[in-house]
Amino acid sequence: MKTMNLFKNLRLLAILCSAITIVGCNNDDDAAPEEENEVEVFTDVTLIFTNTADTSDVVRASAQDPDGTGIQELQILDAITLAADTEYTLTYEILNALDPTDVEDIGAEILGEDNEHQFFFSFTEGAFTSPTGNGNIDTASEPINYNDQDENGNPVGLSTTWTTPAATSAGGMFTARLQHQPDIKTATTGSNDGDTDFALTFVLNVQ
Amino acid sequence: MKERLLLSICLFFGSLFAMAQKEPCAYSVSGKVLDADTEETVPYAVIRVEGTEKYTSTDREGNFKIDGLCSKKNTLIISCIGYADSTRDHEHDSEIHFYLAQEVTGLDEVTIQAQRTKEKGTETISQVTIGKVEIDGNPTQSLAAILSRQQGVTYASAGTNVQLPVIHGLYGNRILVLNNGLKHGFQNWGTDHAPEIDIASANSITVVKGAAGVRYGPEALGGAIIVEPNSLLLNNPFYAELGTGYQTNGKGYNANVALGKGTERWSFFANGNYTRIGDRNTPDYSLTNSGKEEKAIGLGVLHHLDQWDFKVNYSFVDQNLALLRASIATSPDSFTRAINANEPIIINPFSYDIGQPSQTTQHHLAKAEINWWYTEGARLTLIGGLQLNKRNEFDVRRNAELPIIDLDLLTYDYQLEWKHPTWHGLNGLLGLQYFGQDNDNNPGTQTTPYIPNYNTDRFSAFAVESLVFGKNTVEAGLRFDFETNDVRGREINQAIFRDNYTFTNFTGTLGYVRRLSENSTFRTNIGTAWRTPNMEELFSFGQHSFKTTFGLLRFKDTNGVLSTDEVTPLDESRVNPERGYKFINEFQTHKNGNSHNITVYSHFIENYVFDRPIGVFGTVRGPMPAFIFDQADVLFLGAEYSWKKEWTPTVSSSFGASYLWSRNVGDNDSLINQPPISTNVELKWNQGKVWLFDSSKWAIRPSYTFSQFQAARTITPASLVDGSIELTTESEIFDFADATDGYFLLDLSWSFRWNNLNGGIRLQNLLNTAYRDYLNEMRYFADEPGRNLLFTLKYTLKTSPQNE
Repeated sequence: MKTMNLFKNLRLLAILCSAITIVGCNNDDDAAPEEENEVEVFTDVTLIFTNTADTSDVVRASAQDPDGTGIQELQILDAITLAADTEYTLTYEILNALDPTDVEDIGAEILGEDNEHQFFFSFTEGAFTSPTGNGNIDTASEPINYNDQDENGNPVGLSTTWTTPAATSAGGMFTARLQHQPDIKTATTGSNDGDTDFALTFVLNVQ
Repeated sequence: MKERLLLSICLFFGSLFAMAQKEPCAYSVSGKVLDADTEETVPYAVIRVEGTEKYTSTDREGNFKIDGLCSKKNTLIISCIGYADSTRDHEHDSEIHFYLAQEVTGLDEVTIQAQRTKEKGTETISQVTIGKVEIDGNPTQSLAAILSRQQGVTYASAGTNVQLPVIHGLYGNRILVLNNGLKHGFQNWGTDHAPEIDIASANSITVVKGAAGVRYGPEALGGAIIVEPNSLLLNNPFYAELGTGYQTNGKGYNANVALGKGTERWSFFANGNYTRIGDRNTPDYSLTNSGKEEKAIGLGVLHHLDQWDFKVNYSFVDQNLALLRASIATSPDSFTRAINANEPIIINPFSYDIGQPSQTTQHHLAKAEINWWYTEGARLTLIGGLQLNKRNEFDVRRNAELPIIDLDLLTYDYQLEWKHPTWHGLNGLLGLQYFGQDNDNNPGTQTTPYIPNYNTDRFSAFAVESLVFGKNTVEAGLRFDFETNDVRGREINQAIFRDNYTFTNFTGTLGYVRRLSENSTFRTNIGTAWRTPNMEELFSFGQHSFKTTFGLLRFKDTNGVLSTDEVTPLDESRVNPERGYKFINEFQTHKNGNSHNITVYSHFIENYVFDRPIGVFGTVRGPMPAFIFDQADVLFLGAEYSWKKEWTPTVSSSFGASYLWSRNVGDNDSLINQPPISTNVELKWNQGKVWLFDSSKWAIRPSYTFSQFQAARTITPASLVDGSIELTTESEIFDFADATDGYFLLDLSWSFRWNNLNGGIRLQNLLNTAYRDYLNEMRYFADEPGRNLLFTLKYTLKTSPQNE
């Protein structure tokens, strides 16, 4: 009787063990995570100053951080050297080149989300005849010649206009800063609202 | 006596007393069994009178009475756990303690303080348990918050919703969270991932403060937290509990339901819980995006045969937790502004809405357990568990509606345990365990995975033996683990990297308990533990919250120059597992209504993994502060003291204080985010019957937390960004802001019972103090919540027993 019980018990145990084992069948795979299309990183930003009187006269100044969030330092590759007494339109080339075989243009995306973005600027006092002053990073109400507006009538800055003075200068400073302001962008939001997509400072020369 | 089969929660031992009367065989003893830790009543404990056939069990309120005793002086044997079966007389796993009776005159009733039996492998380690009453009074709190009232336990947090228990300065996966007998399988890394456990369904929560690795798994360097679910009582009449709560801070509401029934052979329970809280308020402003929504269910069924128990459990927790909006700073500039501002830089009106940043998790747990008492005093246990943890995290970013982290973690657990019959005085438990995890990234986050895909398989064997001789108990344990990891991740340029690594390790524990007298006990334990650095510590790369962090295998330091362009395989790196040696001593004494508990410990950890800032580096967003994970030898020395005093039968008080000293002794440097000194006093008044109420209890609890005097030096983000301070890999550790000031908090509570209705009002932070908690990551940005009034009500429906 006792043996019978023991046998019964062991059989019961065996059935339950196998039931549990089936539940836990391990789908051991060795797949890597799928490739992701990295949209958060900018590796190459180029400021493009185009002479409005002569569109073949283009000044480009680039900054590059080839490894994105890697520890490698940002490199400011060029100084901005503009001609005196000239009007320029400033536009951008913003790229993600983390994967050299699949370079992505982020500028189009910013245009698509222009009601969440605004460019702000800071430069050596009096570096331009228009806009005057030292830019709108410190005080948002200071003048900048925005050429574009979002659907709410607020400035964006994918295109801005700059006029250099007749006098030459060297070793000045020019900072362009793109702020991401989802849900908070208004006519009065400044450079401290939202988060910074990029903030790049170049040497500015006028000759 | 009716045959009764009872399964009850574990407990034990007491000082006991018998009531004397004059005539022979007309003596009686009556009383109440209370849990010594939680002061809750203990139902279904069996009280026997040694040398007689007399026995009884306590009722649901913990009361018992035994008549017809022939002697003035009796020895009571109290047992619980397992089964007390009058006819078959097999007491499954019950642990019996004998205490000589003291002659008591002039008392009608005695109170027996029962202490919980400690889990095998932890008998010599200091531990503390929180019971159902305490849990029910705080239905909207997190696991960590409810534990933090205990000495030596606090919590690290990332805001109001994400709170991780900290034991003696250690947290994260150095603390093992055992939920329903299974290691909680979740994304256990960083300070922003808390265990997804619905405490409303827990029956008790035990904190083991020593290295409990032998029994539960090697990572438990700092200790273990054991969450026990409903105990599935047999022969328990149908009951249903309906509870609700409302809190003023965050306009939070909660509803929970639990029901169950036990027959002679079967028992089941089911419970559900829903909590929703909106934005919390500090005394001065609203914490925008600090709400949460949580749903949980739990089910359990027990089938009992003469020698067998079959138990199945399932639980599900669904959380949606908001993180403070103002904490998100994607550039050093906005971080500087956020940290310098007195108030969060984004404050919106109150809302229940949960926006970014936030995290959602669904956690499923299924478990089957078989116990077989194949012979007297011996048991075989087989446990199989399966957990699925699905986690999505959302950040303020270009594609905010897409999760930035989207992980599925599958955890398998098999445990076979043999409690062997007593052999030459040795009581012991031997076990085999398999633990496996399979972590997968779901595609579509549009960002490089922060945590790679991986498979972990661990095969373990352990043995724990204890020997009692006289007033001494010696406990020793040994564990063997073999662990393999297979890792697949992506570089930032989307190239695939792979790694495989294996560890083989032994863990040991040795402890000793001596009952110094009837009232005093001394415990000492030395335990070792080891831990593989977790996936974040090894493989993190890039930005997560405001930090850019590089895991141990993601950077190279060549003569002080850092590079992050390749992943080093673990075997070729200098990375070693952490190894901890914890020595913990506890002295407890209870006498004349006074009880004292002193715990002193030292903990040395080799290759302790921590993150530290190494400076700033340029990005298109501006100079970013960069952090690396590093390893060093560290030492923790600590002590805690608690004193409970019963001033009158209705008034009692307790005092507690915790102290921890910690240092990176390898590099002679500070550690960051270590718990500061804290002290508290609690005064309780059990008013008894008053007006309509069957009971009315009051408690007032002032507490003071000191400023962390061992904090690292402060370097402001501004001084890093403007280059006025430069750091190297050899620099001394720093923090971005000074350690928070000390703060005084006052809590007040009143609870009552009226027939089947229990309820209470808790006033938290009564003085509406504005303060910041040093262990809260959000201390850089915002104050802690202000005054809160929490109302709770619970209705219990009980049917009367059919056969009594």
